[in-house]
Amino acid sequence: MNRRNESDERLRIEAAQKDPSRFAELYEEHFERVYVFVLRRVSDRHVAQDLTADVFHQALANLKRFEWRGAPFAAWLYRIAANEIADHFHRTSRERPAAPPSDVSNGEMAAVEQRALLFRLVDRLPADQRRVVVMRFGEGRSIREVAQQLERSEGAVKQLQWRALQTLRAELGQEHG
Amino acid sequence: MAEPNVIERLDAAIDAILAGRQEGLALRDPELAALLVIAADLRDVPDPQFKQRLKADLLPGTKEEMMSTTESRLEPGFQTIRAYLVLDGASDFIQFLKDAFGAIENARFKGPGGGKIMHAEMMVGNSKLELGDAPARVSPRPGALHLYLDDIDAVYQRALRAGATSLMGPTDQFYGDREAALRDRWGNSWYIATHLADPSTKPFRKGFRSLTPYLHARGADRLMRFLKEAFGAQAVEEPTVSAQGTIAHAVLQIGDSVIELGEAHGQWQAIPMGIHLFVDDTDAVYERALRAGGKSVRPPTDMPYGERGATVADPFDNQWFIGTPR
Repeated sequence: MNRRNESDERLRIEAAQKDPSRFAELYEEHFERVYVFVLRRVSDRHVAQDLTADVFHQALANLKRFEWRGAPFAAWLYRIAANEIADHFHRTSRERPAAPPSDVSNGEMAAVEQRALLFRLVDRLPADQRRVVVMRFGEGRSIREVAQQLERSEGAVKQLQWRALQTLRAELGQEHG
Repeated sequence: MAEPNVIERLDAAIDAILAGRQEGLALRDPELAALLVIAADLRDVPDPQFKQRLKADLLPGTKEEMMSTTESRLEPGFQTIRAYLVLDGASDFIQFLKDAFGAIENARFKGPGGGKIMHAEMMVGNSKLELGDAPARVSPRPGALHLYLDDIDAVYQRALRAGATSLMGPTDQFYGDREAALRDRWGNSWYIATHLADPSTKPFRKGFRSLTPYLHARGADRLMRFLKEAFGAQAVEEPTVSAQGTIAHAVLQIGDSVIELGEAHGQWQAIPMGIHLFVDDTDAVYERALRAGGKSVRPPTDMPYGERGATVADPFDNQWFIGTPR
C-alpha cells in the first residue's frame, strides 16, 4: 500500500470510529478479501459466509479499539478472521481436529488479493452477465436451468457466459497492467 | 462476435470444470485456457445478496448499495410470488429440500446467537423458496406447494427416503400431469408432478415455474375475489368447478408468477401460509389489500434488508409479505 492509500485508509477508519455508518466504506472495500481469506481455510461457501458475517460483526463492534499503527486494515480483519476460523474448528473439532494455520504469507496475500479482485469485478459486470456468472458458477447450475430461470434461450445464456468471461479477462489484464 | 463453436466448446469445458474434471481436455485448449482459469476461480464467487444483506444487517439504514439488485428485480425471471415458510427446525428442513428435491441453498442468515435461521433462500428447480425458523412465541406457518420436476417417480422415492409421508402415489392425471402428493414432518404438503402432455414445456405446465404456492380455502371463490381486488390477480384459465359448484382449481397470475387455489376438502385442507409478494408500490398495494378485506399485520415499513415491506392477512389467514425492493 502506498503512502497516499495509507492515509486515505486511515481517514476512512477514523471516520468510521466516529460515525459507525461510515463503516460501510470499509465493508465495501474489504468484503471480498475477508470472504476469500476465510474460504481458503474452510472450503465451504456456506460456512465461509457465516464466518465472514461474524468477522465483520466483530470488526464493527471493536472498531473503536482499533489503533492505527501503519499496518493495513485488512491485516486486522485477517486476525479477527483467523480467530473466528479457529473457534469454528474448535466447535466442530470432531469433524476436523486441527485448525489450519492462521498466519498469512506474502504468497497467500497475493492469491487472496487476486481472487478478491476477480469477485469485485463480477460485481461490476452488467446485470445480465452477473446473474449468469452467479447462477452458473456460484450455484453450479446448468445452462438449461439458468435459461429457464432467466427466461432466455440456452444460446443467449451461453453468449452471456462467454461475454462475461471475456470482460473479466480484459479487466483483470487492465488491473494488473 | 465469437464463432458459435468456440462458445459451445467453452461451455462444454465449463461443464467439465463444474463437474470437477478441470484437469481434463479443457485446459489444453489454448484458445480457452485463460477463460477457463477464471471460470474455475468463479466457482467460489460470493452470493451478491449475501453481501448486501450482511451490510444491511451490520448497518441498518444503509440503503444506497441495495439499489444494485433493484435494477434486476423486476426483470423476467425475478419471481414476484415466493412461498415463505416459517418452521420449527429450518436447518433440517433445508437438508430435506436438498435430499428430496435436489434443492440448492442460495443464502442462509442466522439470527442473533447463531442458533435459529432468520432467513434462508433456496432454489427448488428453477424457483426461489424462502423460509426461516419460527421466532419465539410465533406459530410455524407451513404451506402447500405444487412442484414440477423431471421424473416424478424417482423424486417421490427420494422424498420418502428423506422422511416424507405419502398422501398419494404417482398417478397419471387427466390434465396431463403425472402427479404424487406427500407431507413432510414440518407440516408442508407437496404436490409433485411432471407435466407429460406437452413435451415442449416438460416438466412444467405452460406458464408455471417449478414451484407454485397452492392455497386451499373454504370458500375458494371468495379467496379468488380477494386476490383479484387486492393484488390485481388475473385468472390464467377458466377455473374448474366441482359438482358441488365450488372452485376445484384455479390458476391466477400476479406479476410474473402464478398461484393456484382450490376449495378445501377431504385431506386437502387449508394450510394458511406465508407468501412473499413483490410489487412496484408496497404502500398502494397494502391499502388496496385492506380495502379488499385484508387485515393489517404490519403497515408499510422500510426494512433493514433493503425492502419497503408490509404484511397483510387475507380473510383466510394467509399472510402476504408485500415488498418493493429499494
